[in-house]
Amino acid sequence: MSEKSFYEFISNGVPGPEQKVNADNAIMPARKLAFSRFRELGLPTLKTEEWRYTNIQRYLKDAFTLAQEEEGTVTAAQISTAGIPHLDSYRIVLVNGRLQTDLSQIPANGKVTISKISDAAGNTQLQAWFDKHPHLQSQPFAALNAALFADGLFIEVSANASLDKPLHIIHTYTASANAFIQPRHLVLLHKSATLEIIESSLGLNDTAITFVNTVTEVVLEENAELWHYNLQSTIKNSRHLSHTSTTQKADSRYHHFNFTLPAAEMTRNNLSVALTGSNTETNLHGLYLATGQQHVDNHTFVDHLVANCNSNELYKGVLLDNANGVFTGKIHVHQDAQKTNAFQQNNNLLMSEKANINSQPQLEIYADDVKCSHGFTVGRFSDEALFYLRSRGIGEEAAKSLLVNAFAFDITDQVHIPALQDFLAEKIRQYVAGAINN
Amino acid sequence: MRNSNEIIDDIANREYEFGFTTNIETEMAPVGLNEETIRFISAKKEEPEWMLQWRLKGFQAFKKMQFPKWQHFEMPELDLQKLSYYAAPKQKKKLNSLDEVDPELLATFEKLGIPINEQKTLAGVAVDVVFDSVSVATTYREKLKELGIIFCSFGEAVRTYPELVQKYLGTVVPHSDNIFAALNAAVFSDGSFVYIPKGVRCPMELSTYFRINAENTGQFERTLIIADDNAYVSYLEGCTAPMRDENQLHAAVVEIVALDHAEVKYSTVQNWYPGDKDGKGGIYNFVTKRGICKGNSSKISWTQVETGSAITWKYPSVILQGDDAEGEFYSVAVTRNKQIADTGTKIYHLGRNTRSRIISKGISAGHSDNTYRGLVQVGPRAANARNFTQCDSLLIGDRCGAHTFPYIESRNSTATVEHEATTSKIGEDQIFYLNQRGIETEKAVALIVNGYAQEVLNQLPMEFAVEARKLLSITLEGSVG
Repeated sequence: MSEKSFYEFISNGVPGPEQKVNADNAIMPARKLAFSRFRELGLPTLKTEEWRYTNIQRYLKDAFTLAQEEEGTVTAAQISTAGIPHLDSYRIVLVNGRLQTDLSQIPANGKVTISKISDAAGNTQLQAWFDKHPHLQSQPFAALNAALFADGLFIEVSANASLDKPLHIIHTYTASANAFIQPRHLVLLHKSATLEIIESSLGLNDTAITFVNTVTEVVLEENAELWHYNLQSTIKNSRHLSHTSTTQKADSRYHHFNFTLPAAEMTRNNLSVALTGSNTETNLHGLYLATGQQHVDNHTFVDHLVANCNSNELYKGVLLDNANGVFTGKIHVHQDAQKTNAFQQNNNLLMSEKANINSQPQLEIYADDVKCSHGFTVGRFSDEALFYLRSRGIGEEAAKSLLVNAFAFDITDQVHIPALQDFLAEKIRQYVAGAINN
Repeated sequence: MRNSNEIIDDIANREYEFGFTTNIETEMAPVGLNEETIRFISAKKEEPEWMLQWRLKGFQAFKKMQFPKWQHFEMPELDLQKLSYYAAPKQKKKLNSLDEVDPELLATFEKLGIPINEQKTLAGVAVDVVFDSVSVATTYREKLKELGIIFCSFGEAVRTYPELVQKYLGTVVPHSDNIFAALNAAVFSDGSFVYIPKGVRCPMELSTYFRINAENTGQFERTLIIADDNAYVSYLEGCTAPMRDENQLHAAVVEIVALDHAEVKYSTVQNWYPGDKDGKGGIYNFVTKRGICKGNSSKISWTQVETGSAITWKYPSVILQGDDAEGEFYSVAVTRNKQIADTGTKIYHLGRNTRSRIISKGISAGHSDNTYRGLVQVGPRAANARNFTQCDSLLIGDRCGAHTFPYIESRNSTATVEHEATTSKIGEDQIFYLNQRGIETEKAVALIVNGYAQEVLNQLPMEFAVEARKLLSITLEGSVG
């Protein structure tokens, strides 16, 4: 691969999916379609409204290898460091998007399928849903992913089925040189199925830069319920761009949690939920805690296409050091989506003079019998609260960490797995303490 | 009580009340836009060379620019070569009193209900009438002169107070700010100029009435308001336009400069022709309004009631440069039929302890689209900056849209910025409650809407508040279905 900027390489020279010799021929037409879409959309610049606060060019200016076939390796010992204490779960390990069956505990109850997406290419359900989410159609990086992704997970839960414990998916990334890694996942819950997923990531090398461009599609059939936790914390030198696109049919429930913790250099999450059936419930919770030079950008989009749906969104940010936060949340209520209840809130805590936040909470509403609102705040924690704690003999570091934990409580309290809750509280304490001591 | 469908039909078919044209001979510039047009306008207005050069600079900037694409509506096809850029009522005689004004012109104002005739109407309003962009009659000049206040047409200011105009022109809205501002810089026909000297509190409301009369003309007026140290002024602007099938472009520029401890209050009631119920005709109101709080503890306050225009597209802004400066934006925007409003404000917090408050109330009915778009930016120097924003939208009918697109950028950890927005319709329980008290639905809606917009209407000077209330009920009564 050439030494020129990767941004230039993918805008001009990247070869199409035809070059790829792989087992997933059944989805090759979809890949080709996505590739021509990618060519049409072009890469975003700062003038692109959706990217005005994230200069993606800057994060793509290095030379990357477009990782497609490389097989990285990890050891069980390395994986054990990525565990969440006291968490009882089925562990699924992926290396650069590839499922490692030897390191994973795949539940064998016959109702839940977990396989490589490339192995499932013949699955008609996969073909029916692959790259179909309406929001993905306008996203250049999602199109690039669909065209050239290496591999990923396919999870299918049969009707009325569920698992006795959550799935803990550990994404590990390893490469000897700068790599652009594109995993692709699809999660499909059939009628009345339920599932809990915890995703976390582990970076194994800090010499080379990894750029991860991942797409996860989620489909919830009637009355299905998914708890979806995403923990983003890896080593430095990594850049994360993700699309999570969910389609919800009638009576389904989707609870999504996004925790962005140090220290990926850049994180951009695009979360979109299309509500295609009525009486659904959507809860989107996000907490971003950024330190150093981190840039954290959360874009969320809730698309109310039909009547009688409820959506509730709460994103909170704690920005330390020179961190840069971006939040863009959009609620779109279509003309037929009467009786919609849609709420959105974004609160931010700026903990240092150099930290900053750009926020765009948006409402786009075409139906009249609805209740929609959004709120935004930014500020410091109250000096009085800090003084109160100090006057009770609590040290500055402990007091600040207590206040940040209290600020984050609205989010962490919604987590319904105690081990995960404790893990997050401890992480927040560590990062705040680290930033204060600097 | 009439049934609601009848009421809706009635409203939908209501004629634009101010749709009459006045038969005054107008002097028009040849159709089209080029350097010649600009020289023609400049020559007609007997402008000095520096003014012409500034216009040409604006034209150069304009040629390089393109129409923006980010707005939340379909940009109409605008052929700027098909407009005439100058239309002045043909009468060049200097006027000293109202008796000398063309009676037909006065009759027009009579119909509009402008208090130009001070004996008959509310006292205390000095009106600078801009009729197709040329200032026709200015009242109360003498009284204001005694206090050292300058309130005259822009053209006159260029001739009489060139040093003031040169010092401030384009300092708030540069000639290359945006395509419409650049166009205005190149071809502006006239406008108002206000200068309040140090320590003077302007004893009356200053008022300009804009009215677009001639066909195929764009209205390009330019207003410059300067409040020197410790000065205060309240300025009113009202607009109407006669009915025309073709769309007319209105691309005005307003610049406000507030120096130390000065305060400027700018109120607008905009009632341009909105087009008919199929969205045919109407005014494109693409205006650039911006004020700068240059001095410490200065204050600029925008209040707007927007009920007219086919498309209203403007963001009155405040740059809070001085420490302890304060900016306010109060807005009521009503859209119905196929009207479009994409409006809001931009507040730039640059100085320490700066404060701003934004209250926006959108009401959309029929097939209209009403968008609030606003920016609150806190710079790194703006310690303890404070902003509060509230945007509420009210939907009447299920074929309209209400949107909120705020942009918030905070670069200072000591700043506190809050934004909240809600969207809802008029509650059936509220209507029921009022019905039950013997108030018919039509009046109940007017009452609820008036209550909803109260916070903004309260900011208007008394005479305007009365008119605005009337406009609101005319626009909306019976729209409930």
